[in-house]
Amino acid sequence: MTTGTIFNFFNLLKEDGISFAYRGSFSNSVLAMATELIKNNMDEEHSKLRNKLSFLMIESFQNIARYADNDEENQDPTPTSDFFMVRNVGNIFFVISANLIDNDKVPLVRDRLTKVNTLTKKELNEFYREVLTNKQINQKGGAGLGFIEMVRKTEDKLPFDFVKVNEEKSMFFMQIQLRNPNVENPSEDVSIEDAKFIQKNIASEKILMMHKGSFSQDAVGPVLKMVEDNMHNMKLKMQKKIYHFLVEILQNISKHSFVLDGEREGIFLMGMNGGRFEVGTGNYIASSKVDSLKAQLDLVNSMDNEALNHLYRKYLREGRVTETGSAGLGLIDLARETEDKIKYEFTPVTDEYSFFSLTVKF
Amino acid sequence: MSEPFILEKSKTSPGIEFDRDKGVFKIGGRSIVEDPNGFYMPIYEWLETYVKAPNPYTEFVFDLEYFNSSSARQVMKVIMLLEEIEKTGNKIKVIWMYEEGDEMSQERGQEIKLVSKLDFEIQEYPSDDEIDF
Repeated sequence: MTTGTIFNFFNLLKEDGISFAYRGSFSNSVLAMATELIKNNMDEEHSKLRNKLSFLMIESFQNIARYADNDEENQDPTPTSDFFMVRNVGNIFFVISANLIDNDKVPLVRDRLTKVNTLTKKELNEFYREVLTNKQINQKGGAGLGFIEMVRKTEDKLPFDFVKVNEEKSMFFMQIQLRNPNVENPSEDVSIEDAKFIQKNIASEKILMMHKGSFSQDAVGPVLKMVEDNMHNMKLKMQKKIYHFLVEILQNISKHSFVLDGEREGIFLMGMNGGRFEVGTGNYIASSKVDSLKAQLDLVNSMDNEALNHLYRKYLREGRVTETGSAGLGLIDLARETEDKIKYEFTPVTDEYSFFSLTVKF
Repeated sequence: MSEPFILEKSKTSPGIEFDRDKGVFKIGGRSIVEDPNGFYMPIYEWLETYVKAPNPYTEFVFDLEYFNSSSARQVMKVIMLLEEIEKTGNKIKVIWMYEEGDEMSQERGQEIKLVSKLDFEIQEYPSDDEIDF
């Protein structure tokens, strides 16, 4: 992950009101946090969709758990690890899933999806009852009702695709589309190809979690909780360290970012590369603040740990009141906890504001 | 005399218990408040009154599982206020508690001890395994 990666993802998802992607092993706690995160961050105009969207997220999530033919367990994520994403573009919410399935199951899944995508509402209801009373329950416990429910709930088709990985497995992509009928903001179609493209990029950058949206304290909580829930097999020291980084970085976005159209928008990425965690953030910042922030970053990057400790302790006693009231300790702390330097980039967007991206490894 | 100062802890702010009659002075939990100045203001106000006429012996306990960098400065400000107690000829001791295995809290305590001028003891307590973030 580089500072360029962050800017690219931010631009790729530029039109997204909110977007959240997750890759790796799936547990109920991830699902709970993902639904909370999305709920907390839905604009008021979409609030009526909340329950439906939660339902669809759960269906999609469980579909991954149920159908995925994934041999790996608790291993580092690979390019074909399970993938889940929710994004809002215009008046549509998309729930995207991608997982490996055995090639010999592809025809069955394709037939089912093709069928539900062509049925009328009435036919769909009939088909639903037919499947309900049918004894042919598939091995994994699902009765094929999931797809029918998704189409009934969204009154839209389920775009899907299969990408062959090798002689045994394929990657199965599916996109649930939930439209807000009360919002007149016809969005351009987002095809399943976009989903494939995003998944590919997230996997190749070894990203485990990505969240773009408005960074308020409410939004930060679930992100922290989710990360924490996924660190249980780690030592307490490492958990604390990661937690500490995230608090500092996420609060930084929510405090210092440039308010554009009433929102403090930002992107947060977390990845694992070569056994080390990488965290990246990106947000707009007023161009007038760029020079002083850059000076602070260069200063902490130029110091060794001893000098950083000295400065930290000095500020601790004497304080250093900045315009936002923080003590300036955050950056020093970030610098002394990372082994590498803090990498950053400022990209001017307009005269008024720039895009600020930052990555740290630990 | 001053009334006790009690605040329940929340997901983002620590619990506070200051009771001079009981001799209990404790800040515990997590401090990741976004507006540390606002949160700590009433705490200073209470302590400012207290340090002018403290108990003969004050044992002040910090049991912070986690605090963000802007809260670090506030914790230090509390400690610097407590330094006033010594000027009145009374005794003050700080106990910094951390859970076994929590090296970060331990290190943070050691660092604050370094910059504080008080009798400062760091105490470990056994881990209960489950971390309740």
